[in-house]
Amino acid sequence: MQDARPPMPSLDLEGARVRLEELVDRVALGELCQSFYALFGIAVRIYSSDGALLADTSSEHDVCAYVNSIAAGRAACGATVSSVKLTEPDETGMSVHPCFTGNAYRIVAIEYEGRRIGRVILGPFLPVEVQEVPSSFLDLDPSIDPERAKSLLVRVPRAKPETISRIAKHLRSALDLILFSGHKTLLTSQMHLASVRESYRELEERGKKLQEAFDKLKELDRLKSNFLATVSHELRTPLTSIIGYSEMLSEGIAGPMSAEQTEFVNTIHEKGNQLLGLIQSLLDLSKLESGTMSVRRETLRVEDVLGEVMKTLIPAARKKNVQLKLDSNGTLPEIRGDAERLRQVFTNLGDNALKFTRDGGTVTLRARATGRSGDDDEDGFALLAPARSMIEVAVMDTGIGIPVAEREKVFDAFYQVDSSSTREFGGTGLGLSIVKRLVEAHDGTIRIDDNQPRGAVFVVTLPTARE
Amino acid sequence: MAQRLRANPEAPPLVQLNFAGREVTIKLVYYGPALSGKTTNLRSLHQLTSDESRGRLMTLETRDDRTLFFDMLPLVFRAEGPVQKSGERSYTPSEASGGMSVRVKVFTVPGQVLHSATRRLVLQGADGVAFIADSQLSETENNAASFLDLRSNLKEMGMSLREMPLVIQFNKRDLPNVRPDAEVEQLAKRGREPVFKASALKGEGVLESFFGLLHLTWTRLEAEHQLSRSLGLEADEFLPVAARKLGIKRDVQSLLASCLGNGLNPPPREVK
Repeated sequence: MQDARPPMPSLDLEGARVRLEELVDRVALGELCQSFYALFGIAVRIYSSDGALLADTSSEHDVCAYVNSIAAGRAACGATVSSVKLTEPDETGMSVHPCFTGNAYRIVAIEYEGRRIGRVILGPFLPVEVQEVPSSFLDLDPSIDPERAKSLLVRVPRAKPETISRIAKHLRSALDLILFSGHKTLLTSQMHLASVRESYRELEERGKKLQEAFDKLKELDRLKSNFLATVSHELRTPLTSIIGYSEMLSEGIAGPMSAEQTEFVNTIHEKGNQLLGLIQSLLDLSKLESGTMSVRRETLRVEDVLGEVMKTLIPAARKKNVQLKLDSNGTLPEIRGDAERLRQVFTNLGDNALKFTRDGGTVTLRARATGRSGDDDEDGFALLAPARSMIEVAVMDTGIGIPVAEREKVFDAFYQVDSSSTREFGGTGLGLSIVKRLVEAHDGTIRIDDNQPRGAVFVVTLPTARE
Repeated sequence: MAQRLRANPEAPPLVQLNFAGREVTIKLVYYGPALSGKTTNLRSLHQLTSDESRGRLMTLETRDDRTLFFDMLPLVFRAEGPVQKSGERSYTPSEASGGMSVRVKVFTVPGQVLHSATRRLVLQGADGVAFIADSQLSETENNAASFLDLRSNLKEMGMSLREMPLVIQFNKRDLPNVRPDAEVEQLAKRGREPVFKASALKGEGVLESFFGLLHLTWTRLEAEHQLSRSLGLEADEFLPVAARKLGIKRDVQSLLASCLGNGLNPPPREVK
């Protein structure tokens, strides 16, 4: 498949299109020519390679004015100037063109990186060897006054060929510097522009690829959640039958059973229930991960939720001979949340605490209002913390405790501090990961502290209802 | 006007030929990781060539002596055959003189990883690439990464490494803790590309690498466009003419002979 990527910006770094008129500023070039004229008294004209006049000192010598006042002179002057303009400098880059008045012009090629991109015309100047007004001037028209012609001609700056060559060379090197700087600036600005465009093109392409990858992952994630939900659902259906029939068997509906048979059937029933719990947890987890679990937001009192949790936990506590306490200090502010989900959170934490607390131990559910929340490092803590009021629910046990290094990991799905504890205490390792996600769905946090002298404390912090 | 020849319409343009202006422009690019000595190679090349044939070394946008955009060294000479011992003309093009003007423009790319876009822009339309590697053992990874970057940038432009005339230079041979000579030779022998050892700061190996690359590039261009006919040269006269015009005193054969590995095969015929 051909993807329609925008093409790379193209650049002419090889200088195939370097043009004199694009590299130099005409006004500044004119000023340079003027300063040469002021210094040497010789007129300077600069032409581009296609013959356009780029700079001119535009001054007229007296002798030229005199020539131009005569019709034949005007014609001869025009012919000379056109011929000078058309003269291509020879291989050395310089040529001389004479004028009928005895003056001369020097035509100098402007080269850049081995290419001719224009020419300079220096002159008119009077070559040192010319002492008399030449006949080509005097014969032009009978009205020409030889004395006047001579007096005017000698006013034209006189120069030796070497001097003109030096001046030409100097002008050339000045121009060369200007051209080099101009070309460099041109390339720099072209590169700046092209780099920005190329970087943008690259980013755009990467953005597109990332978006595609992201969409693909999102789709995969959706498929995974769907799969999990479907499988969990499909597993539950036969499991319900297993649990139901084993229950009926143990109740003797299908006839009396021996003690051993009853024990076996009870085990089937119990393990069936455990499996159902696991599947339910998996389903919850997939719903939480896919964001399809709805957390209702209603105003509720944490004490009420904890009261119900206590009722659920009491039978198990009694069975294990563990003391269960509810410590709720005065009236707590209301919170906004899903009572059912919060009950799930604290029942799970309570179950967990009971599981790891031995005979004679204590499990305490304690609720407190607290202003402090968030990280001390948080920007503007001094301003933000007081504006926030929180409720902290601690589930404290006197069990084996959780090593500091394990405290983050216990919230990972299927993680157990010590895999041997699964065998001893049971559990799927899913409970805490669901708890954490449910707490976070309530904009709360959960952390683990030490209990004194032994055991662990799970601290859930929930924001109170905002006015 | 100038036209860029291309072997197939899909491939990016190669050598720039301008028959009206009677000139050929060959673009060579010095590629490699940051601080491997690409600019130093160009500076040395600038010093080793004659005033008449080299233009100004243009350094575009540097920061803390690091290249941001590129450096460019234009080398311009007039190719006219057959080789004459006397009566050399200047390189200035003129309708009167025969032969064509050859412009070899040598560019460096910015080596730092973040300038990838700029590298691609400079690489556009390259006729040959010299990969300047840093011989220090600690730079092994950077050399490899930069080479892969070259490969992917070429690919992005629809070119493959195989199509691109390429020489490898192991620079900074004068430093301690560099890959030993024997190992470089071993690597060169096994690899496909011609390898040159260099110490660009001292000017060693710079001409060797340059002419190695020019040889490969010329061979490629000759095979595709029969440039020698346009230049009025025998195919194997180009390199000696170029060397002479660039004011190189050394013999081209001896420069090429320092190449490690078999990458320059078949070697150019000796020209008397």
